[in-house]
Amino acid sequence: MGGFAKNELAAKRGYTYRLTRRQFLVASSAAALAACAPGAVTPTASSSAAPGKELKIGLLLPFTGVYAELGNSMRRATELYLKQSDQKLANRHVTPVYADDANVTATGIAATQKFIDQDQVDVMMGVVPTPLAYGIRNAVHAAKLIFIDTNAGGNALTRDTTNCTPSCKSPYIFRASFSSYQISYPIGDYLSAKGTKEFFLAYANYGFGTESAADFTTGLKKNGGSTTGNVAPPLGNPDFAPFVTQIKNQPTKNVYSFFSGADAIGFIKSWNSLGLPAAGYKMYGAGFLTEQDVLKEVKDLANGAITSLFWAVELDNAENKKFVADFQKQYPLLPDVFTVQQYDGMRALDEALKAVGGDTSDKDKFVKALEDVSFKSPRGDFAFDKTTHNPIQDIYIREVKTQNGQTVNTISDKIAKVTDPGK
Amino acid sequence: MSFELVFQQALNGLSFGALLFILASGLSLVFGMMDVVNLAHGAFYMLGAYVALSVVQLTGSFWVAMLAAPVALALLGLLIEPLLLRRLRGRHLDQVLLTIGVSLVIVDVTGQLWGREVRSLSAPPGLDGSVALIGGVYPVYRLFVMALGVVLAAAMAVVYRRTRIGMLIRAGVEDAQMLGALGVDTNRLFASTFATGAGLAGLAGVIAAPVFGIQPGMDTDPGLLYSLVVVVVGGLGTLSGAVAGSLLIGPADTFGKVLFQDVALAVIFAIVALVLLLKPTGLLGRIRVAR
Repeated sequence: MGGFAKNELAAKRGYTYRLTRRQFLVASSAAALAACAPGAVTPTASSSAAPGKELKIGLLLPFTGVYAELGNSMRRATELYLKQSDQKLANRHVTPVYADDANVTATGIAATQKFIDQDQVDVMMGVVPTPLAYGIRNAVHAAKLIFIDTNAGGNALTRDTTNCTPSCKSPYIFRASFSSYQISYPIGDYLSAKGTKEFFLAYANYGFGTESAADFTTGLKKNGGSTTGNVAPPLGNPDFAPFVTQIKNQPTKNVYSFFSGADAIGFIKSWNSLGLPAAGYKMYGAGFLTEQDVLKEVKDLANGAITSLFWAVELDNAENKKFVADFQKQYPLLPDVFTVQQYDGMRALDEALKAVGGDTSDKDKFVKALEDVSFKSPRGDFAFDKTTHNPIQDIYIREVKTQNGQTVNTISDKIAKVTDPGK
Repeated sequence: MSFELVFQQALNGLSFGALLFILASGLSLVFGMMDVVNLAHGAFYMLGAYVALSVVQLTGSFWVAMLAAPVALALLGLLIEPLLLRRLRGRHLDQVLLTIGVSLVIVDVTGQLWGREVRSLSAPPGLDGSVALIGGVYPVYRLFVMALGVVLAAAMAVVYRRTRIGMLIRAGVEDAQMLGALGVDTNRLFASTFATGAGLAGLAGVIAAPVFGIQPGMDTDPGLLYSLVVVVVGGLGTLSGAVAGSLLIGPADTFGKVLFQDVALAVIFAIVALVLLLKPTGLLGRIRVAR
């Protein structure tokens, strides 16, 4: 900015000082550089780790693109929790910093770097797609930034893996949602133990779908079960009739599927219009197959489907009833599983902050405090597995039924305290 | 594959192809007439689906939506052509860029107005059941879609070949300047062509909704992606090209995805590459003289 100051000075002294183009470029780029330096933007950031100071939470969520509604759900959960806690966690006033990854991995990685370098957030949360969680893992780990994953369920994020490929656990990474093992292996184990041993697989052909199908198969095999074949439509496939036709032309009646959102709706509708229920086929799946976003569109077409998940809006416990009521007071809709994941992430952060008196400056102490967190969540008992930082949680076996005109997931059984094997 | 399975998958492929034809016909028409690759076509399709959703919620009738959505989109096209596209006439690349801009605006406004949740539409009463066919039951709606595709193609062929407006369109495709010199109001002709293209996208939005669903992102996949594939393979800008393209891509996509599921997404693009390599104008495309 020197050039401009000199110019003013020159004007005051009564003679004109003409700025040449070169001087202008030098001066303005120096000014731009100064503005880019992190210190210049957030001069107080270096001291923000102390108790009583503002707590910045960087939330990386999709607000545009295919997963926009998941991002909206998780933002609602964050705002609800902060409203209930008077915008404070422990003794720290909270400033959420939202960034939109638009379901593009590169955009999300850049936003994470901005959280680290420019915003200097104290804690990072969010992340919907697993590839993005894997993509930011090393940056978060290197920066020793506490990151609470509130959705992405890829197993490797909280596991020991060879050469950390595609990802691996970090002391600074916690997960408040689930690993794909947790929503797939237990139901395979459960069904085969009950005597249903043969399954045909149908899953969206991408990392998470194949992982879920593989974990389910491992669960089946534990009790001598087996799979007889599979169909794997690409993720976001528009027409499901070809795949359901393949299912109808093979003899195994029990079908385990992994689909969510639009894919789940397309699958269930084709399943019915091609007459699979009448032909004796039975639908099983990971819980996202029959979550509210899907049920409100397909309604009783999903009746009889058996799925597993760590939560259901109908779950009968005091915390869940209060959570659902509080949420509905704030928003004119039912909470979904993504809301619960984010809400529990906020709760875990809150509890850990209280344990350290709001002081996040000692990272190891703060990590220890998070590891020790345990509370009653809407999903049941919530605690982090100290070795993996993945939650230890109950998995519910649910059956879709239409009761009083409402299509819901009824809880038919519970598999207690499921934890990820960690490797 | 057993005979029953091949038969059922062929039906799936043909009904998918019929949907693709309804989707791509508007894009093909606008390109043939105006030499504009309308990259907002997918966004028009998406908007048509959301308009249909609202109309069904208001009136409870799929059939009303099937009229209202194309009309709404045609009106939008009637605004966009004179206000925006016409100013860039003759500057093809600028027009293409403009249509990208239009699609971004439409997609964001749609998200704001209707939200970003996944939605769906049911087939209308009477068409929501299934009928017995070889190898089991088959959804009536998909048979209806096939019939509609055939009717639409036939109607377009008749208009194109047998009516005055069709004659004007054919003349416009050959040489719009000369047509103008002969005293035809080409502005009006172009505006109504663009509106028809947008209306066809709106129709596709309604008809495809019970099968493909309604969700953010539908403007590019399946919307723009499949319609571009169909017109590129079939031949840019000709009705017969759009028919040939959808008849090839529909079944190819269906059989490709179940037979080679690990390379499912590559199958149709392999076809695109092959066709472009052997016949750069597409299967039934005309050789265009650079203007």
